[in-house]
Amino acid sequence: MKNKLWASIKKETLILVRDKIGLSILFIMPMILIIVMTLIQESAFKTINEKGIPIIFVDNDKDTLGLTIYKGLKTSSLCYIQDSIDGIPATAESAKAAVSKGKFLIGIVIPKGATEAIRHNVSNMVNETLNIDSLVTEQKETKPDSVDIVFYIDPITKKSFITSMTSYMHEFISSVKTQIMFQTFSEQIADIIPGSGTQPKNTYQKSQIINYKEVFASNLTGEIAPNAVQHNVPAWTIFAMFFIVIPLAGSIMKEKKDGSVFRLYTIPTSYLLLINGKIIVYVIVCLLQFILMLSVGLFILPQLGLPVLQLGNSILAIFIVAISASFAATGYGVMVGTIASSEQQGAIMGSLSILLLSALGGIWVPTYVMPEIMRNISSIIPLNWALDGFYKLFFRGGGVSDILIQSIKLILFFILTMSISSFVNRLKRKI
Amino acid sequence: MSRVPIVEIKNLIKIFKDCDEPAVNDISFTIYKNDVFGLLGPNGAGKTTTISMLCGLFAPSNGKIIIDGLDLSENITTIKQIIGVVPQDIALYPTLTAKENLEFYGSMYGLSGNDLKEKISMWLEKLGLTKATDKRIETFSGGMKRRVNLIASILHQPKILFLDEPTVGVDVQSRNVIIEHLKELNAQGTTIIYTSHHLEEAEHFCTDIAIIDYGKILSQGSPKDLIANTPNSSNLEDVFLNLTKRKLRD
Repeated sequence: MKNKLWASIKKETLILVRDKIGLSILFIMPMILIIVMTLIQESAFKTINEKGIPIIFVDNDKDTLGLTIYKGLKTSSLCYIQDSIDGIPATAESAKAAVSKGKFLIGIVIPKGATEAIRHNVSNMVNETLNIDSLVTEQKETKPDSVDIVFYIDPITKKSFITSMTSYMHEFISSVKTQIMFQTFSEQIADIIPGSGTQPKNTYQKSQIINYKEVFASNLTGEIAPNAVQHNVPAWTIFAMFFIVIPLAGSIMKEKKDGSVFRLYTIPTSYLLLINGKIIVYVIVCLLQFILMLSVGLFILPQLGLPVLQLGNSILAIFIVAISASFAATGYGVMVGTIASSEQQGAIMGSLSILLLSALGGIWVPTYVMPEIMRNISSIIPLNWALDGFYKLFFRGGGVSDILIQSIKLILFFILTMSISSFVNRLKRKI
Repeated sequence: MSRVPIVEIKNLIKIFKDCDEPAVNDISFTIYKNDVFGLLGPNGAGKTTTISMLCGLFAPSNGKIIIDGLDLSENITTIKQIIGVVPQDIALYPTLTAKENLEFYGSMYGLSGNDLKEKISMWLEKLGLTKATDKRIETFSGGMKRRVNLIASILHQPKILFLDEPTVGVDVQSRNVIIEHLKELNAQGTTIIYTSHHLEEAEHFCTDIAIIDYGKILSQGSPKDLIANTPNSSNLEDVFLNLTKRKLRD
């Protein structure tokens, strides 16, 4: 039994090692894929994280609101702000033209009198609250109480960027409005209650008791900012591991085609033992692929100026997810090879199904951006279980207990595919 | 001395799914120990289907197969250990060498270590393949492939050897070597059951012949008896044509 299994492993290894094209599909292509995809996506991450969204800012207000927004955006990592174009101060027209030419993604124009309009509006409210009716009536009639801040938007700009910028603006306007309201109240109270106008000047700043702090919900020591390496290496590694379906199904189909299977069925060795030889070899290949892809993230990508892949806290947990995913991929390959009737059919069935499963499983696009129905489908895709497991380890610093469910699902998928293969094989032999 | 039956086929029928006509239609015959039994017939006559059922590749639709006193349907694993099968196709791994292929198949029959190595080198030498031991099968000629295909099935010294057209597409030299060594195996006690389109080869090689067509056995006996009992026949080819007629087959 041991001798037969060893002979089967040796035979599969020799066949695989001598298939140069198959090896390049298994090892070199995924490496290239990871490097290219990470480089492309990292540049997108950099645009947002490092330089920010390019914005042209026109301040016709020249008062508190305009200055607050300008200062706020200037210090924000979300955007990269300019108030002049080619050394000439920007106007509403030149800003619009520059955005339409694609020089900036967004143009913001703060209209003249914006701060004054807020002041007037606040003053009315304060007066109304303090019952100074005559003043309210007079001012309501003479001054406008609303102005339009104009956004020029490049049509290619992502909706999420626009939403972020709009939120920023609302925050700035609210802040300025509150500040003015605070100031106006203080002044009015000083008028009503003589001797109370000696409050310290930084009273408003002192009132800002709520601050925001961004903390990643992760057990990892140190902060892991989302970057293309952390996202791409596990995702494309899983894709490569499942792409083993093509050579594995091809190997089963070749045995059918060249007649070896005829002899294999007539020898006193069970089909399961023969298949076990293949499974062991291809699981080892999957693990080697995994190690190679992690090495790309650890050693090659940093040489290209990309961040180093952070592996999290538990190497054992990484190994458990990797070996579970390897078995799932191999089981799927055996199933495709058993069901397919020809090499071409196996190759098409294998490659198309892996592309489909990887799209559904969140390899190409994160599942959280998918519609609900697709997210539900994604939750039953083995590639998604594997990806989820790796994200728990690489981003959230999880351990063995965090990935047990994903690993058990992957092993159950392997058992299911092997059962289907065995059933189909028996069915085909009954003819 | 009474002859000992080694393969007994009783009312064997095989009907493939989606086929109206049976591929094998209620055939019965007995093959005796140490026979060289030839199953001859035109294309599509049912030869390969019969051989496939005899070596357990698929189950018959009806009927019984007894091999070495054991019912095949109940003792498939035991029977597989005493049989060897030489398929019509070259059932070898093209990117492996002759030695690697034989090591693999020998191991699958339970051989190992020096015993396996000695048997491989002995048979490679006997069939004139010593120089090609470490060459890949994909570089071999048709005749060389056929010889390795044969060795892969006889390393474990089977009691019964099934051969499905073992000499098809090979040159005269290779064919002679194959037939000579099959005779040697038979002399050592192996019962041989083979199919072929080479009627002259069968006439000289077989001790017993069954002619099959449309899934039915048309005649059975020694080559001499068949020639004698079939009118207007001076050799096996005449017998064959008289029994199966001259109509072309698909």
